[in-house]
Amino acid sequence: MSRADIIFLLPHLMLTLGAVLVMMAIAVRRNHFAVYVLTCLTLIVALYFLPKTASLPHNVGVLFVVDGLGVFNTMIIMLAALAVALMSYAYFDTREERTGEYYMLFILATFGACIMVISGHFVSFFLGLEILSVSLYGMIAYLRKRERSDEAGIKYLILAAFSSAFLLFGMALIYAATGDMTFEGLSGYFSAFDELPILVMTGVGLVVVGAGFKLSVVPFHMWTPDVYEGAPAPVAAFISTISKGATMVLLVRFFLAIDGFRFPVVLTIFTVISIASMVVGNILALRQQNVKRILAYSSIAHFGYLLVAFIAADELGVEAVNFYLVAYFATMLGAFGVVTVLSHPERDAELLDDYRGLLWSRPALATVFVVTLLSLAGIPLTAGFVAKFYLLASGISTNQWLLVILLVVNSIVGLFYYIRIVAVMFDSAEEREARPAGYVGNFATLLILVVLLVWFGVSPQGLIDVIRNLVGVG
Amino acid sequence: MIPIENYLVLSATLFSIGLMIVVIKRNAIAVLLGLELMLNAANINLVAFNLAHPERLDGQMFAVFVIIVAACEAAVGLAIILQAYRVFHTAVPDSISTLKES
Amino acid sequence: MNAVQYLWLVPLLPLLGAVLLIVAGRNMSKPIIASIGAGSVGLSALTVIVIGVAFLSNPDVYEISVWQWIAVGNLTPSIELHLDALSLMFIFVITFVGFLIHLYSVEFMGEDSGYARFFACLNLFVCSMLLLVLAGNLVLLYLGWEGVGLCSYLLIGFWYEDPKNGYAARKAFIITRVGDTAMLIGLFLLFATFNSLDIETILSAAPSRWEQGSSIATVAALLLLGGAAGKSAQLPLQNWLPDAMAGPTPVSALIHAATMVTAGVYLIARMNVLFELSPVAMTTVGVVGAVTLLIAGFSAMTQTDLKRVLAYSTISQIGYMFLALGVGAWSAAIFHFFTHAFFKALLFLGAGAIIEALHHEHNIFRMGGLRKQLPIVFITFLAGAASLAALPLVTSGFYSKDMILWYAWAGEKGSGLLFIAGLVGALVTALYTTRLVIVTFFGYANTRVSKRPGWRMTMPLGVLAALSVVVGFLEVPHNFWHAQLISGFLGGVLPAAVIDSGIEAYEWALQLLAAVVTLGGIFIGYFVYMATPGLHELVKKKFPTLHQLMYDGWGFDALYTLLFVKPVTWLARASRGDVIDGIYTGIAWVAIAANRAIATTQNGVMRWYVLGIVVGALLIITLGILV
Repeated sequence: MSRADIIFLLPHLMLTLGAVLVMMAIAVRRNHFAVYVLTCLTLIVALYFLPKTASLPHNVGVLFVVDGLGVFNTMIIMLAALAVALMSYAYFDTREERTGEYYMLFILATFGACIMVISGHFVSFFLGLEILSVSLYGMIAYLRKRERSDEAGIKYLILAAFSSAFLLFGMALIYAATGDMTFEGLSGYFSAFDELPILVMTGVGLVVVGAGFKLSVVPFHMWTPDVYEGAPAPVAAFISTISKGATMVLLVRFFLAIDGFRFPVVLTIFTVISIASMVVGNILALRQQNVKRILAYSSIAHFGYLLVAFIAADELGVEAVNFYLVAYFATMLGAFGVVTVLSHPERDAELLDDYRGLLWSRPALATVFVVTLLSLAGIPLTAGFVAKFYLLASGISTNQWLLVILLVVNSIVGLFYYIRIVAVMFDSAEEREARPAGYVGNFATLLILVVLLVWFGVSPQGLIDVIRNLVGVG
Repeated sequence: MIPIENYLVLSATLFSIGLMIVVIKRNAIAVLLGLELMLNAANINLVAFNLAHPERLDGQMFAVFVIIVAACEAAVGLAIILQAYRVFHTAVPDSISTLKES
Repeated sequence: MNAVQYLWLVPLLPLLGAVLLIVAGRNMSKPIIASIGAGSVGLSALTVIVIGVAFLSNPDVYEISVWQWIAVGNLTPSIELHLDALSLMFIFVITFVGFLIHLYSVEFMGEDSGYARFFACLNLFVCSMLLLVLAGNLVLLYLGWEGVGLCSYLLIGFWYEDPKNGYAARKAFIITRVGDTAMLIGLFLLFATFNSLDIETILSAAPSRWEQGSSIATVAALLLLGGAAGKSAQLPLQNWLPDAMAGPTPVSALIHAATMVTAGVYLIARMNVLFELSPVAMTTVGVVGAVTLLIAGFSAMTQTDLKRVLAYSTISQIGYMFLALGVGAWSAAIFHFFTHAFFKALLFLGAGAIIEALHHEHNIFRMGGLRKQLPIVFITFLAGAASLAALPLVTSGFYSKDMILWYAWAGEKGSGLLFIAGLVGALVTALYTTRLVIVTFFGYANTRVSKRPGWRMTMPLGVLAALSVVVGFLEVPHNFWHAQLISGFLGGVLPAAVIDSGIEAYEWALQLLAAVVTLGGIFIGYFVYMATPGLHELVKKKFPTLHQLMYDGWGFDALYTLLFVKPVTWLARASRGDVIDGIYTGIAWVAIAANRAIATTQNGVMRWYVLGIVVGALLIITLGILV
């Protein structure tokens, strides 16, 4: 490992350092605020050490590829993690007495996600994913006093481990057939195939199973609503954004390397998954009364949409995926941020009734929620609209007409349940007990997220240019 | 020399047995065992097919990493199962189902 | 560097005002609301003046790209503002008159509980109207078009507690929608032909794409005329405007007299190339204008509600503008818009002051004698009325109306009939204006004045009174003096009117005729309403049916109720629970059933979820083997 390699991996190394520091800090003295500040500092320092774009791309051994795609998404993940950390402080400050370990798991999970987006090898792929998963087990089940947290933890544990086993077996099969584990090497092998041999095809299929679980696309989605409902709200935000986003980027990198969409089988599989996810996600959300579950179903549908651009797999498609991820991150973080702010120490604010009349009792917060919901629904002048528009453009440019039409139809269905939440917030206010004063960090985060959502909706060109410069070449 | 296909058959069989354990067994501890079996079935593949490229050690190295990961997973998993046992007084995941579509 | 590039500030400032008032208006004190509401438009007006000065030193057509939204693939939607002499005249009127009316409203609406709501809507209206006239493409124009329609709806129904006002608002909205629909179809037609909705592109491509007099050009022009007629209250969509007087008087002044109702004139003038391509459409515009100006003028003679008189008068005056457009006298139409905006806003504001002073009394026959009690209002109102009646030589209305009459007679597309209609209209206008002034301000004081207007109401009146006299001298007939500022100014944008040869020599004769007709109208009015008391009652009794018909606006409301409202309500009642309804219920039912079915998979049992993954994996592998 050369000096340059270390410089390129500095952000990731900073995260591991931060995790160790948090561990030692807990050993010395338990202080929630100190640990929280340490976590935020770690993320900020890691962000500071992100490699300069001019020097990209750079391969670190065979394991890591630090290129524009990787650096951009590392940055997005760290920023999202910062937002989740700010939410977590407010959330856990009013709940558990032991909070230190959460931040250690949190940093490690972020680290795992950051490893995933730069990995160019099965080993780093699998290890990044497992670091992320194992940390998430702990985070989901963190609220020991709340039984639903435990249930969500145990469900996620078994299902995630189960799907990782599929993933690993798939990797092993591909390795068995090709004798290589680097994406670069595999790209050579795959380009030699006119048609995929059964062994390789099964391997790729099992990798899709493992990744599909993390993306929570149909039919690997069933855990999503239960885990979102049971997990603490900030952790649900983490799963719905960082964990999914990192997996998506990894899939993009893998399938671009093997040029997977050359093979009609792969195309068919992803088309079926995409359609099923859009339809099932939206239909399940239609009559749902629990806001966290609605967000879970909505995230399933959204990854169905996202797969449209993923299937396009050309330059426009990769741009669209990245833009969509940014918009989706900001939107979901905003939505879960509102849930976090409204939550009681005993219970998360997850029922629709918790939001009745919110527009009158807490107008600012309700406005934030309305903006995020409109963005989720893809209403013009929000980031969600531009993102969806981008997906449509990439779908149309590759003639995926079936998917494009279904995307539009499903977006209309989606409107129904997003607007329903908005309508509930417009209902006449009822008497509600005074809530504890909020945390500055929380509100600042929400404010920034809303500004971003509107900004990217009104003037997205800046972000598009950044993405195009960083990602377009790769 | 054992033919290479035999390794595939062995690993696939082990994987399937592990899968069946996860699907059939009620107790969470047994489910964890099944998961271990599935991971190790993959390991057999990784190690066996490294034979074809004796100059590289990537398959075997991967297998070592997988063993470590499996150990971590088992540790965290057992902890969570224990905690769930304290709360629900059962280690059967199927009977823990308060989270569902109502 | 040129001041013109700050054009985007002009619509932005009122928009910011509206947003501020909508978001935080509830918690603001009235002075703050007033300064935001009036101040934003005032600043906008100042910006327009600065831009206007820069423009005059270097007249040109400016395309200012405000905002490029995204560039995805080859699609690059953007917002472009278009400034030329035509739009400059409109934004000047909108911001300047708009500011005066805002200032007036500060006092006029002072006691109202919906103060912030009022100014928010008014600001939003100004913003939409500015967008409408500054739009570089028809999409943005349509956005502004619908925006002003929405604000008009909100403001007519401003006092929503009274169901009558809500009815008037809905009526205005629905009738203008009929026109809007026609216009939207026209826009689709244009897009289908030119593959673009950029106005410049369409206007430059149209003459080569469509030949002179082709039927498709006629269809496109007529569809646009439909939209224009709806917005500008022209036949057959004119009957919403009198009811729109239900809104607060400043709203009537700004929206239903000075600006919004002239949007149709703007649209036709802006798309003049299209209309020039189709003689049929041009003739239609002229005829619509002529008929409208007559029937509305006659209706105005019989109204007793002060504001309804002015409303019919507005319809009639816009009829003049359409007449001018129809005979190809583009500049004359815009000149009349310009003068009309000032004197009609003035008349409405004066009417508002009177109504406010007399405990919301609208009936002119219960007024009277206000000359002494409200002297400032009287003098300014008189200036406006003189301009409306086109009192020769001293008023702006004379010059603009004379120009229209001249081209109606002498213009290549003009005809004797159109000219006579205009002349009769002039007589009627002078007559009802005289009637209005005499009945309101002279004679016995039937109602006592309770409250005198303050400076914020009288100041706009004075400024507008001065303007409605002065602006006429910007454009004086050829044979008087060499001052054709307006038509020279608009020359680069609008084609000059063509007149028959050898006819110029008779211009003085026509002017004399027009002057005589006007004076005659004033004299008749004086004779009937002042010199011989009781004569007008006699006339009314003599022709009761005719009077009633004119009073009801020639029965268009009843006709439309019979022709459209009744059948539609019948159809709606008949088709309750029909097949189409069944389809929607069916969709909802299928969705619910699907939801139930899929929701059973979310049963919380982990073994089931594990099986889900296994089934998914098997499916993928099967697909892999099969495909």
